[in-house]
Amino acid sequence: MGDVILTMKGIDKRFPGVQALSGVNLEIRKGEVLALMGENGAGKSTLMKVLTGIYKKDAGTITYEGREVEYNNPREAQEDGIVIVHQELNMMGHLTVAQNIFIGREPKNGFLIDDAKMNSDTRKLFQQLNIDINPKETMSKLTVGKQQMCEIAKAISHKAKVIIFDEPSAALTESEIEQLFKIIRNLRDQQLGIVYISHRMDEIKKITDRVTVMRDGCYVGTLITKDCTKDDIINMMVGRVIYETPKTESHVPPDAPVVLKVEHLNAGRMVQDVSFELHKGEILGFSGLMGAGRTEMARALFGADPKDSGDIYIKGEKVEIHTPEDAVRHGIGYLSEDRKRFGIVLKKSITENATLTCLPRYCKGVFIDKNKEKQVTKQYVDTLRIKTPGIDQLVMNLSGGNQQKVVIEKWLIGDSDILIFDEPTRGIDVGAKQEIYELMNRLVDEGKSIIMISSEMAEITRMSDRIIVMCEGRITGELDIKETSQEQIMHYATLRAGGSDNE
Amino acid sequence: MNKFKNLPVVRAIGFNRVVLIGVILLMYLVFALLTPVLHSGATFLKYDRILSALNYAYFIGFLGLGVTFVIATGGIDFSIGPVMFTAALVSGYCLTQYHVPLWLCLILSIVIGVLFGIINGYFVAYRFLPSFITSLACMQIAKGVGSVFTKTQSVTWPTEGNENAWFHYLVRWGDVPVGFILLCLVAAICAVVLNKTKAGRYILCIGSNKEAVRLSGVNTKKWEMLAYIICGLLAGVAAIFYVGAYTTVQPGLGDTFNNEAIAACVMGGTSMAGGLASMLGTVIGALIIALMQEGILAMGFTISYQYVITGIIVLIAVTADTLSRKRKN
Repeated sequence: MGDVILTMKGIDKRFPGVQALSGVNLEIRKGEVLALMGENGAGKSTLMKVLTGIYKKDAGTITYEGREVEYNNPREAQEDGIVIVHQELNMMGHLTVAQNIFIGREPKNGFLIDDAKMNSDTRKLFQQLNIDINPKETMSKLTVGKQQMCEIAKAISHKAKVIIFDEPSAALTESEIEQLFKIIRNLRDQQLGIVYISHRMDEIKKITDRVTVMRDGCYVGTLITKDCTKDDIINMMVGRVIYETPKTESHVPPDAPVVLKVEHLNAGRMVQDVSFELHKGEILGFSGLMGAGRTEMARALFGADPKDSGDIYIKGEKVEIHTPEDAVRHGIGYLSEDRKRFGIVLKKSITENATLTCLPRYCKGVFIDKNKEKQVTKQYVDTLRIKTPGIDQLVMNLSGGNQQKVVIEKWLIGDSDILIFDEPTRGIDVGAKQEIYELMNRLVDEGKSIIMISSEMAEITRMSDRIIVMCEGRITGELDIKETSQEQIMHYATLRAGGSDNE
Repeated sequence: MNKFKNLPVVRAIGFNRVVLIGVILLMYLVFALLTPVLHSGATFLKYDRILSALNYAYFIGFLGLGVTFVIATGGIDFSIGPVMFTAALVSGYCLTQYHVPLWLCLILSIVIGVLFGIINGYFVAYRFLPSFITSLACMQIAKGVGSVFTKTQSVTWPTEGNENAWFHYLVRWGDVPVGFILLCLVAAICAVVLNKTKAGRYILCIGSNKEAVRLSGVNTKKWEMLAYIICGLLAGVAAIFYVGAYTTVQPGLGDTFNNEAIAACVMGGTSMAGGLASMLGTVIGALIIALMQEGILAMGFTISYQYVITGIIVLIAVTADTLSRKRKN
């Protein structure tokens, strides 16, 4: 185990009305991968933002390579060798890989940019990292995984000594994650200090050496990864054990009526001849690899994007859905995978978000009945256990899990019978995840029907009554939960048109 | 300072509006002191000066109230000034040349405003054009229509004391500034629409995150277009108050008032990024613009100075808005 390269001690950070961090400690060592874990809202990101100078700390000290430091902005931290690889990629799609990596510090040849040198430098960098990407390729043509590799390469090119990975695997496929781990191990062997933030337990076990756990803005403790179990970590995070057992039998009675029938839905290249039925009280899981066309299918079904052809029947009756407005009128709700862009209005209050789907019902004539509106919002905030100081709180001040609950609240108030959950627990911590699962089960018990799109195998096998697998815009398999194995799902998920298995 | 910020009155009006009211008083004081110095024999301390400043505040105020709705959706409307002039020209021409009844001409003025609002709103909301481009095109069209219709003649509405001149009473009745009362009344209605109705809620939410609102099953196109229609309607109203105060309108003008109305709006705390708007702020902003104009003239400067100062105000107000949003994030 290497020497300590960076220590954070007694870090405090207050935001108006919230103590985001209180007395947090963190120790990063050379040649080691440190996992930073905690529920959403536990303060992981805030801590990293304090470290890299995005936020100013209220108290505490940061010691880096034996001297006390305080950065005013991420650039200063970067120049000192502390870099952060964000979950969201900050790349310019129309530039080449090399241009992105050297942006702002292009090698010059007199007044002109020395493209040849830039490309060869990039190639050297990639060789060092064992990445196989053409430096001259346009960024937007790469897969998300490869873009992430470029982001890492960019971070390393800054002569980094400490690298922070903020949920790097969220958008990656299994094989891309493997490659990411290879790179991280390689960096670790070069004596860099690495912080790895993730919600995925199996990754933590695989890649990290120590685990630091935070809860509610406080430091809980640090464990040696190989000496602890998954449950130890979860216990520290939430104070209770959660078992992820797959469902073994469908909860839907065999005579449950069909509430939604989709026939021959086509929408562009990503949705081709999709037909399926959804029963009352059912959770229908949509599995598949990233880019299998599941989100596109959901958006076309919901009327968010235009469809080329296809019929939709609700409770046996044919309906025309051309806009989200039509879908909502027919009782369909869509919870997007990208909450902040498509799910909520960040700068508005919980109340304003909650009644957005059915505002006319909370109006007297043209006027909004604010009492009625507040009453119903309060009621659902309580039943969904949304953690907030009040219903007038702006949604942007809530944690990810609570924001997701606001989205659910919105659709529940909207009285939707058919709910499409697109990656319902993406970027949500273990504790809140459990709550969302319980909530989904309660909803189907109450007679609602759910389409759940998920890329997490464990989530699919745990929640679904029936599973539909998609690949390249087509349905390639339909499985009853009783006879499903993860291997089977993977088989169908890679079943390309023409019957040849992927790779 | 924080104590003052937390006073119930200050919280109700909004700290930044209180500061603006302070600015008005300060400006009045400065003009009162400087006018006799710079322009010998003149004085600023006359009731007439206030009435004259108010004349300017009315039409800027109505334009500002309208454009506040558009800015709340995250858009912009650069056509309001010329639309106001075109409404005044066409309806005035109908009144003086074709002897259309006055009441009908006043309605016509508003209808013309609404029509331009529909054009702007349709192309922005239903055809997804940038509001910046759409409204600039509308501005050109409005200027052209006004000139063509009046054969490039200026139009003079009936002056006070003549028949068909009761519309002047909308602006002032003797020494009573009726226009100010009406402006406040309309501002109050606008504030109610923005904060207490379905339409206002949708408009503000669209300004914050249009796609999320659309995916909640709201017909965002309809509500976005409505903001432009309200804006056009108020430009038509502004035209009535313009001729009520100044009687004569010339074709091919009006674009300077766009900037002044938008300046009033942004000064008052409406965010150019959308989602946040204050009608009271816009009215106070309009009063500041009007007082400044009156002060500049009283001190013996030409109106060109006003343009320079308005431009500077816009830069300062938008910078302040951007900075405060950055801080909040």
